Amino acid sequence: MIVIIKSSPDTAEGGRGLKLARDMAADICLIQGGVYFAEKERLEGFCGTVYALEEDLRMRGIRDLEKGVIPIGYDGLTDLAAENDKVVGAF
Amino acid sequence: MKNVAIILRRPPYGDINAAEAVRHAMGGASDDLSVSLILMDAGVLILMAGQDVSGTGFTNLGEALTDCLDMGVSVYAERQSMRQHRLDSRDIPERVRQVNGYEIAEIIKVSDTTMIF
Amino acid sequence: MPKSFTIFMGTSPYSTENTDTAVGIADAALKKGHAVRLIASGDGVYCFLKGQKAKGLTNSEEAFSALIQKGLKVYL
Repeated sequence: MIVIIKSSPDTAEGGRGLKLARDMAADICLIQGGVYFAEKERLEGFCGTVYALEEDLRMRGIRDLEKGVIPIGYDGLTDLAAENDKVVGAF
Repeated sequence: MKNVAIILRRPPYGDINAAEAVRHAMGGASDDLSVSLILMDAGVLILMAGQDVSGTGFTNLGEALTDCLDMGVSVYAERQSMRQHRLDSRDIPERVRQVNGYEIAEIIKVSDTTMIF
Repeated sequence: MPKSFTIFMGTSPYSTENTDTAVGIADAALKKGHAVRLIASGDGVYCFLKGQKAKGLTNSEEAFSALIQKGLKVYL
């Protein structure tokens, strides 16, 4: 299962998406303002795999990523959606 | 000369607010208004260096902010919001003035109009 | 294996980044041979108005028209 988060860390929606993913032991894919979660120490110890849309990171000037965050293109995002049994979101 | 305060609270690109704030700031400046653009909350993220919109079709809002400064817009960033969003004063344009809540209140107080994005 | 993607578009074309995201996903999925359909509801229907003149961000009419040519199925 994969949870898509498009809202930034300072919003209730973004926090809700991250919590839900943690509770469901799902992986997350960060897009739009959600990519600010990919900065260091924003993920509050999230254990799943974290993907972040490269184009949205680049637009916002985010370069210093948390260790383990995997940047992907729309290509990769499409593969994730096709491979996972369920896609939830976008928060 | 009329004073306009434009407050930006939303981060760039995710919605239209940052682009609108900058657009109206430029519009005001080119119409000889005295414009104060106040960045608060996630609005300070427009100051992040190295925004690269190549291949996206989007306007680079970091560069648009520099254009605002060139046009005479006074840009202010709230210190607490900068800390919250981990922005260092070394990372932002020199001409952006860092202010506290009290100073922002003073700017709004003397403005004829306040717009919030 | 080709799959079916359904994108739900509920927001107007220029208030959020959703248009750009939907276009990016639809384009990538179509290129990979997946079937992609988009259902526009509420303000999402404005994404398909004719005569849009947007600049400085993804022009919704142009982007979706190009995707329809590539096989995107749109339902309003």
